[in-house]
Amino acid sequence: MSVEQVPTSLRELLADIFEISAERVTPELSMGTLDSWDSFRHLQAILAIEGEYGVQFDPQRIPELTSVALLQAELVKMGAVL
Amino acid sequence: MQSDAERRERRREIKDAAARQDAAGAVAGARRLLAESGKPADVQFCATALAGIGDALREQLGARRLKTYVVRSVTVEPMLASLAVEAVLANFVLDIEVGGYGSYADELLNADSSLAKFKPELVLILLDMEEIAGRLPELCADGTGAEVEREIEECVGRMAQLLRSYRAGSTARILLQGLVVPDCTSLGDVGEANLPHSLTNAVQGLNLGLAALCGSIADCVFFDVDRLAARHGRARWRDARMFLASRLAVAAEWFGAFARGLVRSFSTMLRAPRKVLCTDLDETLWGGVLGEDGPEGIATGSAFPGNCYLEYQKYLKQLSSRGILLAIVSKNNEADVREAFKVRAADLALGLDSFVALKINWNEKAESIRELARELSLGLDSFVFVDDNAVECEAVRRQLPEVAVVEAPAREPWRLVEVLSGQPFFDAAMVTGDDLHRVDEYRAQAQRAELASRVGSRDEFLASLGIVCTFQSALLAPLSRAVQLLAKTNQFNLTTRRRSAADVEKYAATEGGQAVVVRVRDRFGDAGVVALALARRQGDDCVIDSLLLSCRVIGRGIESALLAYVGEEAARTGAKRLVGEFIATKKNAPCAEFYSDHGFSRFVPPGEGSSDSVFYELDLTSSAITSPKWIRVEGNESNER
Repeated sequence: MSVEQVPTSLRELLADIFEISAERVTPELSMGTLDSWDSFRHLQAILAIEGEYGVQFDPQRIPELTSVALLQAELVKMGAVL
Repeated sequence: MQSDAERRERRREIKDAAARQDAAGAVAGARRLLAESGKPADVQFCATALAGIGDALREQLGARRLKTYVVRSVTVEPMLASLAVEAVLANFVLDIEVGGYGSYADELLNADSSLAKFKPELVLILLDMEEIAGRLPELCADGTGAEVEREIEECVGRMAQLLRSYRAGSTARILLQGLVVPDCTSLGDVGEANLPHSLTNAVQGLNLGLAALCGSIADCVFFDVDRLAARHGRARWRDARMFLASRLAVAAEWFGAFARGLVRSFSTMLRAPRKVLCTDLDETLWGGVLGEDGPEGIATGSAFPGNCYLEYQKYLKQLSSRGILLAIVSKNNEADVREAFKVRAADLALGLDSFVALKINWNEKAESIRELARELSLGLDSFVFVDDNAVECEAVRRQLPEVAVVEAPAREPWRLVEVLSGQPFFDAAMVTGDDLHRVDEYRAQAQRAELASRVGSRDEFLASLGIVCTFQSALLAPLSRAVQLLAKTNQFNLTTRRRSAADVEKYAATEGGQAVVVRVRDRFGDAGVVALALARRQGDDCVIDSLLLSCRVIGRGIESALLAYVGEEAARTGAKRLVGEFIATKKNAPCAEFYSDHGFSRFVPPGEGSSDSVFYELDLTSSAITSPKWIRVEGNESNER
């Protein structure tokens, strides 16, 4: 899969939060594959996404959304306009 | 809200500025981006960009690096980016370390803790209700709780123990955050308001106790987070979902406001407030244009829109009563202005005598402010300029970058007070007796200048002033004034070491050490505590670590009287040699020759060849320093004011 499958706004947001280039934000990028994606950055990313798209995650789902693809799918499920 | 394209453009500006290590450009860009957008991703973007130019911020803008340790019981990590960015906007570069969730007591008490080992210059203590006063919600549940007051006392007592223990082993500045009054309680709004021991009353009482505690500890400030929460709405300040799931005490939308509040609070321990507010007249102090509308036509007084300006005048008057000097800087005919103040006196909260200086002419305003700085012997970085005219504001910003410029909202005069109070430059965690007397003192200065122009020689003039110097221990002065002098004196300051209250206490307490301040009065008034010296014994030497004099009393020989006093004390305790030190800064040229003017000779101590310090010595067994003959000296009186 390629970067194009991640919407630009989400890609740029996650690039900011994880302090990496936007090209590295692929759907497969995950907590397991990126060092700077620790639990605090995860929380920061969640808060940034909530602020950007005006959504609220279910706290029980938050720890499970550990890759870009999972985050994106959850956003789509919540009806966010990406 | 700006468009996506503008947001991208701003970000490119910041990135480019950072890439060429242009600190001012990056900071200005960050300020704009955050004012226009300020989304979490933008904040992190700015934090990343600014973190990469820490050295440039320090070298080009004089930003101060602060090793900062966060003692916490809640999740702070997601807001650190906001904190770092807001700190940079206030010219601090934070080097942050965060403590463990449950280890705050150990960190503050244990000399081997991660906090102690980090050796911070600033400690932020951010604890939540559960840690500080976990029993309060239960004790307050019936609103009559007999035990509530004792519990509050015990909470403050526990915190006092932690703070005092840490203070004893560290000179770091300490910020203690208070508690937020809970928004939803079982008593409900009516019960909270009417029952004496409601949780609302208890938390407010506890906050008062913690604030008083901070006031009793050197270099410690209370951060009233409840005030911030109330301003933005307590109902939305905390996101219960995120607090309960992740212990995040502040909702993400308020990270910026929270970080700004924190920075404003701790800044007061690290820099002095500005001292002078220069206000424009037309469309600022009053509505309309005096030259066109005439004294009867300008808007001021109890009716709208004049009352907007009256509110601003009252605000200025309040600033003046805690020692902020007011000045008029206006392009007008002085005679017209005098007439307006006379004719409209009943509609104005200020009279011409409320101002220490008037610059009413047709000169450039930057030139008028420069003149004021000279006449009041104050640095330009002590000045604030308020004007509705964007062109005047920009001219002052360009010509005098040290001056803080506030653009008055001419079309929305009701926002004048809000705009001014949103600025941090008059923030002070304490007000000293000297602050309260400052306005009188500057008026006396004007009278002295007038006398000087009549009396012939300098000595004759100084003798006619009837100067009396009183020497006191810095601990009695009070100590807060000594620390204030150390923090803000630049021109007559031989080493410019920003010693803390704890340092001063150490000098006073050590055998052979001195921490002495000088209180000065003359026939025109009491200038208060205006000079300070710190010295310590080193073998047969008495070494002067710091010696400084407030710029408003330069030129009266007080520094000589102080040096003479320190020399006498040193000789009395058996020192054979008095050692002075001078470290040149951009501002302290006026005292470069201080020691050589008093008979000291230069020497190079072993191993000190390469430092910035220039050392001087005086043999106390064969010489002494004479105090000027026009100064009457009173020693060690501690019963004054």
